[in-house]
Amino acid sequence: MLFNSLTFVVFFAVVLALHRAPFLSWRTKKVLLLVESYIFYAAWNPPFILVLWISTVVDWVVAKRIHTATTTGARRGWLLVSLLINLGILGYFKYGEFLLENWVAVAAMAGVEWQAPAWDIILPVGISFYTFQTMAYSLDVYLKRAEPADSLLDFSLFVTFFPQLVAGPIVRPVDLIPQFAVEPAAKAGRLAWGLSLMVLGMFNKIVIADGALAPAADAVFGAGETLAWTDAWLGTLAFSGQIFCDFAGYSTTAIGASLALGFSLTDNFRYPYAAIGFTDFWRRWHISLSTWLRDYLYVPLGGNRKGVGRTYINLMVTMLLGGLWHGASWTFVVWGGLHGTYLAVERFIQRRFDPHPLTHSVVFQMSLAMLTYFLVNITWVFFRAPDFPTAWRMIVSMVTFGEGLRVLSSANVTLVAVPVLGILLIHGLMRERRLEDVVARTPWWLTAVVVGFMVAAIAVSQGSSNAFIYFQF
Amino acid sequence: MRSSIFSSEPLRDIPQTRWTAVMVLAVMVCVSVVGAWEMYWRSEWFVPSYRNSDGLWALTRDRIDDEGGRGVAIVGSSRVLFDVNLESWREVTGTLPIQLALEGTNPRPYLTHIAQETTFSGLVVVGVTEGLFLSPSIGLRGSVVNAYRNRTPADRMSQWLSMHTVEPYVAFYDFDIALFAIVRRQPFWPARSGMTPELPVVRKLANSRVTRQTDMWNKVSDNPDYREVTRGIWLAFLNAPRPAPPPPEVQERHISSLLAEVTADVQAIRARGGDVVFVRAPSSGPFREAETKGFPRELLWDRLLAATGAVGVHFEDHADLQDFELPEWSHIRADQTDRFTRALLRHLRDAQEAGGRARAELR
Repeated sequence: MLFNSLTFVVFFAVVLALHRAPFLSWRTKKVLLLVESYIFYAAWNPPFILVLWISTVVDWVVAKRIHTATTTGARRGWLLVSLLINLGILGYFKYGEFLLENWVAVAAMAGVEWQAPAWDIILPVGISFYTFQTMAYSLDVYLKRAEPADSLLDFSLFVTFFPQLVAGPIVRPVDLIPQFAVEPAAKAGRLAWGLSLMVLGMFNKIVIADGALAPAADAVFGAGETLAWTDAWLGTLAFSGQIFCDFAGYSTTAIGASLALGFSLTDNFRYPYAAIGFTDFWRRWHISLSTWLRDYLYVPLGGNRKGVGRTYINLMVTMLLGGLWHGASWTFVVWGGLHGTYLAVERFIQRRFDPHPLTHSVVFQMSLAMLTYFLVNITWVFFRAPDFPTAWRMIVSMVTFGEGLRVLSSANVTLVAVPVLGILLIHGLMRERRLEDVVARTPWWLTAVVVGFMVAAIAVSQGSSNAFIYFQF
Repeated sequence: MRSSIFSSEPLRDIPQTRWTAVMVLAVMVCVSVVGAWEMYWRSEWFVPSYRNSDGLWALTRDRIDDEGGRGVAIVGSSRVLFDVNLESWREVTGTLPIQLALEGTNPRPYLTHIAQETTFSGLVVVGVTEGLFLSPSIGLRGSVVNAYRNRTPADRMSQWLSMHTVEPYVAFYDFDIALFAIVRRQPFWPARSGMTPELPVVRKLANSRVTRQTDMWNKVSDNPDYREVTRGIWLAFLNAPRPAPPPPEVQERHISSLLAEVTADVQAIRARGGDVVFVRAPSSGPFREAETKGFPRELLWDRLLAATGAVGVHFEDHADLQDFELPEWSHIRADQTDRFTRALLRHLRDAQEAGGRARAELR
C-alpha cells in the first residue's frame, strides 16, 4: 500500500496501537509486525509474497551454510546459490523483457528476424530493494563482516519490515537485526518526532513533488517536440526537484514510521543539491544504495587498490550497474555512465592538480556546487526521458539555448521556480547541519505551527495517491 | 547478530523540545486551517458529495458482474451522465441503471469493454456526443478501464475508506478545489509570450452520488456569475483553433472503420441476448450550432443506426425531449432530469417495441 493513501493511515494507526499495547510480549509484537508487513506488501499483489518468502528462506539458509562451511569452495558455492537465486529473481521479473528486446535487436543486426513472445510479467514492487537487502546479509556473512542472525523471526522481519520494504532505505542487516533483539526502551519525544518526520515526508511527496512540480516535468518530457531552452531547463529542474521530494519524501516517511515504532533507519539523503563535486553528491544522494554499491561491488572489484586504470574501470562498472539497477533501459545505463564519468574526471583532476588556496574560498566552492548541480541536471534528462530521441531533443535545447515549443504557462513556471529555489536554498543552508539540531534550536511553537500547516497543506492539496517514482525500480 | 561493521550510525537522535505541546498545537493549527478552508468552500456552494473518481467508476462497473450481467448499463459522455436520472429510471422500470458514462470521454472503448470483456446481456444505452464519438482518441477519462483492471486490494480499501469516512462529510474534497488546481487557474497569471494559449480547465459542473447519479451543481444553474464562467470555458473550447479536417476519403475510411467496430460490439452483445440503443441528449446555444454544423446527422447518427440496426432516440425528433433548460448549453439542470428521463424511457420503449425488440428492462 502507498504511504500517501487512506489505507495506510488506518493501517499505521492499527500497527502503532498494537505495537504500543502494554499487554503484548515483545515476541508477540514482532510476530504482529511481520504479519502486518506481509499485509502491507500483499495490499499490492498478494501472490508476490511468495517472492519475498523465497528471498527470505534462501538467504537465511545460505548464510547459515556459509558460516558453518569448512572449505572456501563450499562457502563460495553457497554464496553463489544466494546470488543466483536473488539475481535470478531480479533478472526474471525486472530485466527479462529488456534482455529479450536486446537479444532480438542483436539477432536482427545479424540478419536473423525473430519475433519474441510477449513478456507480460508484472514487476513485484520493491524487488530491487529487498533483493539487495537480503544479498547484503549473505555477503556480510561470506565476507566475515557479520555472523548469521540467531532468530528466523528477526531475520524475516529485517527482510520484510514494511516502512522500508518497497523503496528503502536499503538497510544493512547489522544495522536493523540487532534492533529487533530487545524491545526498545521508551524515549521521550520519539513517537512525536517520528510522526513529524512522516508529515515532512508526505508534505514533500504530495505537496511539492506531485502538486507543484510533477505537472511541469510531465508536460515537458511528454511534449514530443523540440522545446524552447527555457522550457527544457524548467522541465528538467522541475524533475530534479520532483525526484528529490518524491524519493527523499518516501525515505523520510519510512524513517519516521520506523522511529514511531521504536526503530532507527539510516539517513538516505543529506541535502544532495548542495553537494560540491560528485563524490560529495553520492555521499548525499540515495546513500543506502551508494554505500551498498561501494561495499558489495566497488570494493570487491578491487576499489582503488589495484592501480589507477583499474580504479577508473571499477568506478565506471559500479555506476553503470547502479544505473541499470534503477531500470531496465539504456537511458538508465547512460545516466549511470554519466555519473561514472563525472566521478572519474573528478578523481583525475584531484590526483592531477594540487589544490590551490583559492579553491577553498566560498565563491569557488559555491561555483563548484552550482557546476555539480548543473551536471546532475544533465543526467536527470536521461533518467526521466522515456527514450533517447526525447533525451537528445532536451539536451540540445538546453545546451544550445535553442528555440522551440513553449509548453509551460507562467503559473507552471512559477510553480517550478519557487520550489526549486526553495530546495536549493534549504540544501545550501542545511549542508553542514542536521535537521534534528535545527529542530532542537527552534522554538517549540514554531515547530508546531510548521507541522500543523504541513498537515493542512497535505489535506487541501488532495493528493491523488500517485505512486512513488522509485516503486518502479 | 554480532557484527564487525556498521554502515552508518544505527540510532537516531530525538530533538529535545516540548513534544506534547508541539503535537497539541500542531493539531490545533491543522484543524483551524482545514476547518476554515471547509467553511469557506461551503460558503461558495460546495457540499459534500462523492468524487467522480476512477474508484467509484470501478465499483459501479463491478455491478455488471455482481448483478449477473443483466439490467441496464449506460456508456457515453457527460450528457447521458448528467441528464439521465437514475432514480427516475428505477422508479419507472424497477431497475437502477449501471452508470458508466464518463465526462469528456469517447464511449466507444467502453462499449467495446462491455462487449468483449463482460458477459453482459442486458440493455446498453450509448450516449452519442458526435465530437467525442468520432474522435480517434479516448478522451479525458481514458485511463479508467486500466485503473479498473489494475486495482489492488489497497486501492479497494482506500476507495471504501474514502467513501465512508471523507467524501460524505467533507465539502472541500473535490477535484475542482484541490490547492494547486486553484493556484493554476488564477486570472492574475500573465500570458507567456510565444506560447499557444492553453484551453481552460473545465470547472466543476456537477455533484455525484454513490450510484454515480450525477446532478448538475446548483451553482451552475442558479448563480449567474458562475454560469457565465462555465459558458466562457465552453466558448473557449468551441472557438479554439482546430486542425484542418482530414480529406473526405480519410474521414470516410475512419467513419467506416468506426462503424464496423461499433457494429461488431453491438452484435457481440446481441449474440448473448442483450441489446444496444443510442441516445443523443439535448444541447443548445453555441454548442448546438457548432454540432449541427460540424456533425450533421447524415455524417454519423443516421449511419450509426443503419449500420447497427439499433434503435436510436435523438432529442431533435421529439418535442418533449427539447423543452429543457441547459444552463451552460450542454447539460440539463438537475431538477429537470426526472422529466427528461421519463420521456426518454417512453421513446426508447416505443422504438424498441416498434422494431419488434421489446426489452424487459424498459418496462
